[in-house]
Amino acid sequence: MEKMSRVTTALGSSSISGRTMFCHLDAPANAISVCRDATQVVVAGRNIFKIYALEEEQFVEKLNLRVGRKPSLNFSCADVMWHQMEENLLATAATNGAVVTWNLGKPSRNKQEQLFTEHKRTVNKVCFHPTEVYMLLSGSQDGYMKCFDLRKKESVSTFSGQSESVRDVQFSMKDYFTFAASFENGNVQLWDIRRPDRYERMFTAHTGPVFCCDWHPDDRGWLATGGRDKMVKVWDMTTNRAKEIFCVQTIASVARVKWRPERKWHLATCSMMVDHNIYVWDVRRPFIPFATFEEHKDVTTGIVWRHQHDPHFLLSGSKDSTLYQHMFKDASRPVDRANPEGLCFGLFGDLAFAAKESLISGDASRKPYPGGDRRYPIFFFKKPNPTEQFAHVSSALSVFESSVESRHMDWLVKTARLYLLSGKPFAELCDHNAKVAKELNRPQVSTTWTMLRIMFSDPANLSTPGPNHIGKLGTLPLMNSFSMKEMGTGLVAEGRLERSKGESRQDNLHLEPGNSLINSNNDENEETEGSEGQAEYMFGDAELDDDDLYSMEHENHAAEEQEYTLPQEAFPLRHEIMDNPSAPEHLQQDKADSPHASGNEAEVMCLTPIESFSLISISQPLFSPHLPAQFFCPVVREMLIHYAEQGDVQMAVSVLIVLGDRIRKEIDDLTQEHWYTSYIDLLQRLELWNVSNEVIKLSTCSAITCLNQTSTTLHVNCSNCKRPMSNRGWICDRCHQCASVCAVCHHVVKGLFVWCQGCSHGGHLEHVMNWLKSSSHCPAGCGHLCEYT
Amino acid sequence: MFLARSIAADHKDLIHDVSYDFHGRRMATCSSDQSVKVWDKSENGEWICTANWKTHSGSVWRVTWAHPEFGQVLASCSFDRTAAVWEEIVGESSDKQRGLRHWIKRTTLVDSRTSVTDVKFAPKHMGLMLTTCSADGVVRIYEAPDVMNLSQWSLQHEISCKLSSSCISWNPSSSRVHPPMIAVGSDDSSAVYSGKVQIYEYIDHTRKYAKAETLMTVTDPVHDLAFAPNLGRSFHVLAIATKDVRIFKLIPMRRDATHSSTPTKLEIQVLAQFDNHNSQVWRVSWNITSTLLASSGDDGCVRLWKANYMDNWKCTAILRGDGIPVNCSHDVVSQQSLLTASSAERKLS
Repeated sequence: MEKMSRVTTALGSSSISGRTMFCHLDAPANAISVCRDATQVVVAGRNIFKIYALEEEQFVEKLNLRVGRKPSLNFSCADVMWHQMEENLLATAATNGAVVTWNLGKPSRNKQEQLFTEHKRTVNKVCFHPTEVYMLLSGSQDGYMKCFDLRKKESVSTFSGQSESVRDVQFSMKDYFTFAASFENGNVQLWDIRRPDRYERMFTAHTGPVFCCDWHPDDRGWLATGGRDKMVKVWDMTTNRAKEIFCVQTIASVARVKWRPERKWHLATCSMMVDHNIYVWDVRRPFIPFATFEEHKDVTTGIVWRHQHDPHFLLSGSKDSTLYQHMFKDASRPVDRANPEGLCFGLFGDLAFAAKESLISGDASRKPYPGGDRRYPIFFFKKPNPTEQFAHVSSALSVFESSVESRHMDWLVKTARLYLLSGKPFAELCDHNAKVAKELNRPQVSTTWTMLRIMFSDPANLSTPGPNHIGKLGTLPLMNSFSMKEMGTGLVAEGRLERSKGESRQDNLHLEPGNSLINSNNDENEETEGSEGQAEYMFGDAELDDDDLYSMEHENHAAEEQEYTLPQEAFPLRHEIMDNPSAPEHLQQDKADSPHASGNEAEVMCLTPIESFSLISISQPLFSPHLPAQFFCPVVREMLIHYAEQGDVQMAVSVLIVLGDRIRKEIDDLTQEHWYTSYIDLLQRLELWNVSNEVIKLSTCSAITCLNQTSTTLHVNCSNCKRPMSNRGWICDRCHQCASVCAVCHHVVKGLFVWCQGCSHGGHLEHVMNWLKSSSHCPAGCGHLCEYT
Repeated sequence: MFLARSIAADHKDLIHDVSYDFHGRRMATCSSDQSVKVWDKSENGEWICTANWKTHSGSVWRVTWAHPEFGQVLASCSFDRTAAVWEEIVGESSDKQRGLRHWIKRTTLVDSRTSVTDVKFAPKHMGLMLTTCSADGVVRIYEAPDVMNLSQWSLQHEISCKLSSSCISWNPSSSRVHPPMIAVGSDDSSAVYSGKVQIYEYIDHTRKYAKAETLMTVTDPVHDLAFAPNLGRSFHVLAIATKDVRIFKLIPMRRDATHSSTPTKLEIQVLAQFDNHNSQVWRVSWNITSTLLASSGDDGCVRLWKANYMDNWKCTAILRGDGIPVNCSHDVVSQQSLLTASSAERKLS
């Protein structure tokens, strides 16, 4: 009690003030200690032993205790402690094993008072008794602790830890007689000062050395220990067994630990290697430092709170030969920089969101935005008690799944699956793809496909599949204009008429759902927006009048209208073609190029032109059949680039593949390669391996096609003689039999081969699957009950 | 429409990052509690924690997946000044408790002397490369010369950004016209240095990264940035989370010699700038078609942004983020009403 009152008066009389400041020392410091009234600090090191006064603005050197021409090793200190009751009394632990006390009241320059040379190796730590003036404790590398009565010339008792070197000794705040000692082998021992024969208690606190320990200042019987295992542990020593109540993980071995005054949960640590920072931890939140002081450039060796009842000033000495006073308010707070939220978009438009719970719940209780008045910087948001707020945090993790109906990626996957890129005549591919796009509610893309077909098919052939398309578009203007062609179709190719009838019936069916789809088409449909611009872009010049539809304040209702009016854009195409008088010279080219188009259509060509021509010429010269496909190339090129710029690389690549040679030369190889790689990457992401493989196969870029051929090696062994097959045939060199014969059809399997791992018989995947539908026995007749999974 | 599914993450401190894998079936979370958890999506759509292990001795700031071509590989970075590479091993385990699958540490990258604030794998076409950035403003690019050996990483490049770095993003473009490009954001809060986003480009000629651009208009601390998936575009789109959400368009200017020794000139346009979060924005994320941008801020909300064909960006949805099971159904309802409300609003306007 007496001590308490004195301290408070001291604090009251000279209320501490100051700022973050530092001074250069002549040499690296090993330890520091403050005097009781917090006005002076002693710095000790191998080559330094000085006292500095702590003034308002700066450190002022008061006294150099390192005197003499050739200072003895007694001056090179591993540790120093200023007595907390006797202002003139200091003790140091020397690296040569000496324990020295210093009396600042001595008139001579050499203030050395007493010298104990009982330890055989470096003394790591000295510690005065908190309430007993003459009692000093030391702990040494030699494994002994000694208690000195400063009135006597020798130690009064020696404590043998019986284990390794002593790293730290600390008198308990709670028990007059108790002190704790920490050891290099990870143990912590509790001793009664009266019983030097045996420790009261021992427990293993850390794996590896325990470098430091510190009793909680508030008499609580809590002991904090820090070790090379990078951990700070807080032990409750009041129970029978020392109980670990907190464990703080730091990032480097812990050299010093000091409880923060007046803050029950806080302690400061510094490390002895790698890390130069000083951390203040809230033990309740052991993962992230409450505050960090980052001033030192080298290892911090000594930390001490300036006054034992003032939590705002921390002093530190370092190997970088500086002495710092840190103001707590200047500390950096790692939590403020740590971001409290995580957010990630999943492949299918799912969103994973993790956020600090207080952010979310705070928001839920709050009304969403009273106005724009919350626009302050973040630090205004801090609640009054940051300490309490700091301690209890957690995050909530949730996944926002896009519901099945509005899956963002569905159209992409479906389109990729359903598009036909090869294997049919060009026009049919276009039609098919247009249909696919239409069904997926992407009228813009659909129209583009149709356009492509119109542009690049031979005019004659064009009229034939036309009706299918018109039916789909289902708007009046087109119907009108194309109906004549439909007639033409009827006249021209009867064989095809049947087909187109069938299809147009289908199309009528499609029409209604299509419309309703459009009606329900919500704004989530990305494609509509993305591609609207395309049409305008392509045919824009003639269509400026319609542009109010695509004006700047374009909203989604506009988008819907837009979809209805889309087909109108078929007109400008014709205009464009008509307006262009450059036909004749292309005519010859057209003929030359026609083989390029598609072979199938070439024969039809001679059939129809005249008839369809005449029909067309009645109403409006729909298109000149003389326009070569090449003529459109620049437009298509623009269109493809536009699609790509819009991010619809799927369209760009699909068109590129379907058009093949017709367009390939127009677009430079690097761009093509870029599109291919982007699209393939997308497909692989969506695990559409087959489509991706098809794209790779169909691509014309050498860089892409070789993707399929890298690092794929197939080793085949003969199923009869089990030897590797050397040549490329299906007959083994050695046993001269066909390898890998299907057990069902007895033919050689050249594709997917499936076999039972039990009996090693097998065959064509399809055959075996069929076989197993009816029988569970091996098709080879070996009697094995085969299992194919 | 979104359905909120709350997951009992059971991290003992803040979760700093979530990350989906390439195929969207797995998710990794990392937290200040020094652990990383891996979540797998089950058949019925539940997310199940299949791995949980202590990764670092400090807060784990970020976690990221490598391209599956390199295996099931994660990288994490931490306050403890290291970044680590983890690989999932199936079988081989002698430890019965850990089951068949477990994650083992392949390497620890210890070059940084300060907190490693972000870690990202480079786009796949560049090989197996890992980039870290640290609080002292150094960006490090590592390469695994042998993709089969994840324990060997050589430090290829060290870029000093001068400013404390908080986030990095690779330009995902696979085009050969676009040299490797990386954007670095800084959370330096001083106003002295403006331009908190720097863009570096690889110069073939010198085999070094050189600064191509500094976005001088970004003056506030940047917490996250993300290049949009490229998808065959000739330009790049970069989203930035600072005190607001910003979207930049970077258009590489044509240059005559492809092998020049200076970085490509970029024409920079601001596509959008939104302060609707009314507070710090912490994260931005693109969907794979780069049509939607999600951002999350200190207001605890996720906002979705979308552009129309005119490149006019608009907010399409606001998602409140509490997945508390008790209120879950209520939340979904409120979210849905919120969503419909927002779309209705847009129809009116």
